[in-house]
Amino acid sequence: METTDSILKINNIEVRYHEVILVLKGVSIEVPHGGIVALLGANGAGKSTTLKAISGLLKHEDGEVTDGSIEFMDERIDKLDAESIAKRGIFQIIEGRRVFEHLTVEENLKVGAHLRGNGKQLKNRLEMVYHYFSRLKEKRNEIAGFVSGGEQQMTVIGRALMAQPKLMLLDEPSMGLAPFLIKEIFDIITTLNKSEAIPLLLVEQNAKLALNVAPYAYVMENGRIVLDDTADKLQENPDIKDFYLGMTDLGGRKSFRDVKHYKRRKRWLT
Amino acid sequence: MELLLQFVTSGILLGGVYALVALGWVLIYKCSGVLNLAMGELTLIGAYVCLQLYTWFVPVLGITFGFIIALLGTLITGFVLGVLTEHFFLRKMIGEPILAVIMVTVGISFFFRGIVFSIWGTDIRVFNPAVFDITPYSLGNLVISQVNLWAFFAAMILLVIFVAFFKYTRWGLSMQACADDEMAALSLGVSAKFVYAIAWAIAFMAAGVGGTFLGNINGLNIQVSHLGLLVLPAVVLGGLNSIPGAIVGGIVIGLLQNLADGYISQFTPGGVKEVAPFIFMVIFLLFKPFGFWGWERIERV
Repeated sequence: METTDSILKINNIEVRYHEVILVLKGVSIEVPHGGIVALLGANGAGKSTTLKAISGLLKHEDGEVTDGSIEFMDERIDKLDAESIAKRGIFQIIEGRRVFEHLTVEENLKVGAHLRGNGKQLKNRLEMVYHYFSRLKEKRNEIAGFVSGGEQQMTVIGRALMAQPKLMLLDEPSMGLAPFLIKEIFDIITTLNKSEAIPLLLVEQNAKLALNVAPYAYVMENGRIVLDDTADKLQENPDIKDFYLGMTDLGGRKSFRDVKHYKRRKRWLT
Repeated sequence: MELLLQFVTSGILLGGVYALVALGWVLIYKCSGVLNLAMGELTLIGAYVCLQLYTWFVPVLGITFGFIIALLGTLITGFVLGVLTEHFFLRKMIGEPILAVIMVTVGISFFFRGIVFSIWGTDIRVFNPAVFDITPYSLGNLVISQVNLWAFFAAMILLVIFVAFFKYTRWGLSMQACADDEMAALSLGVSAKFVYAIAWAIAFMAAGVGGTFLGNINGLNIQVSHLGLLVLPAVVLGGLNSIPGAIVGGIVIGLLQNLADGYISQFTPGGVKEVAPFIFMVIFLLFKPFGFWGWERIERV
């Protein structure tokens, strides 16, 4: 990828929790202006930690970027706190649909505009969010804790949208949702990326889904980036097929009976 | 019947002041999950600050204006003290175990108590000249003392202002969001530090005004700080993190105190007034452990 048109550049960062536990061991990621980049990997690979390192939320969990650098629009941000990073326009959507349970859907959205002030602009942004998520308009006065899972996910994405993000970090938007809802949400995400020109860094366990929307992807394992390529090439990669897409070399579905992971060594580890 | 009406009225009026202090308590709990055991001392220091300002301003401005200016001064001092307290004592404790933070508030309570003793001593002080006329208003057979009435009004005005602040301003909304899910609020650029600072500032202001009026009713000494403990039943009753709960809880406690004082204390050696709210709290908790409006965890089915 060309380096000149990247909005976010992560150069070989190392992240430690509590000053001793090394979680990320040299991660480099670039997100181009207006692009979608997916970050794939299994549980505990360090995907969420990477996002938190970017958004600064890491510091509230006693974590720290101990080496390398993170640059956003050619400025270093890895030493800043979450608030100043948010002021620069990076908004993370934390995994697990963290709505403000006791506020209404609309109040949730308003909190999203916290840094953008009140007034007429707020109304316009609300209208814009309701335009993309028409379901939220119907539920605007309901307590967010009681709306459905899909609507909560929409609230959370809409909330970040209220903040006029320059870069959105999405952490597992598909988690725990029904397939048709996942499709709806991913459709909206891609539309947002196109029409509002918001670059996205998307973390997903569902590799198939992610590779469909993101033209470029990184694969993480044990706190390292082990592979990165265009989505087309990744989809052809035999290891990715095998471990992330659940397909055999022939392209058909694989029976669990034949899976012998312990025998098969990933090629990239050698 | 008339006697009952009398007890109820004065109970509600007194409850207004409790509600104000309870609000301060709820606010800190709501935003940061900390039980602020220094609440009594916050009322104490607020009350003494007001007394001091009053004695300075009265010769210049007269009683009414002197008191109003002193009250405004108390609010400002409360705000400043709240922000400073948060900055120096509590900011470093963000992310530490909650019990440790609660112990810090105990430390703060002794700190402020010490300050009050060293500046103003331990004797009972009164607002001199008296701010409110001692002749009570009478409504038929109902007798209402002026202090109580004004205390109630002042408390209600402040409560309305604070509630409006939460409901309709950007920072109020963000404070509620922060109470709900701190991490998510942080991810949207809400500054948790600022939210805590405001919470402490409002708690100090509310407590200061509450203490001032209590000082006007009973005179001012260390006794006023018992108010901090007394609002605990009020807060628990309303549910620890509910603002309307604090208001209703405060009024109920005021009511309870007066009724217990009026009807039960004649059969006992005394002290029923102080104990009644706590007995009620214990029994109440058996049936409604979250209080009237406390947050039960929302579980979707």
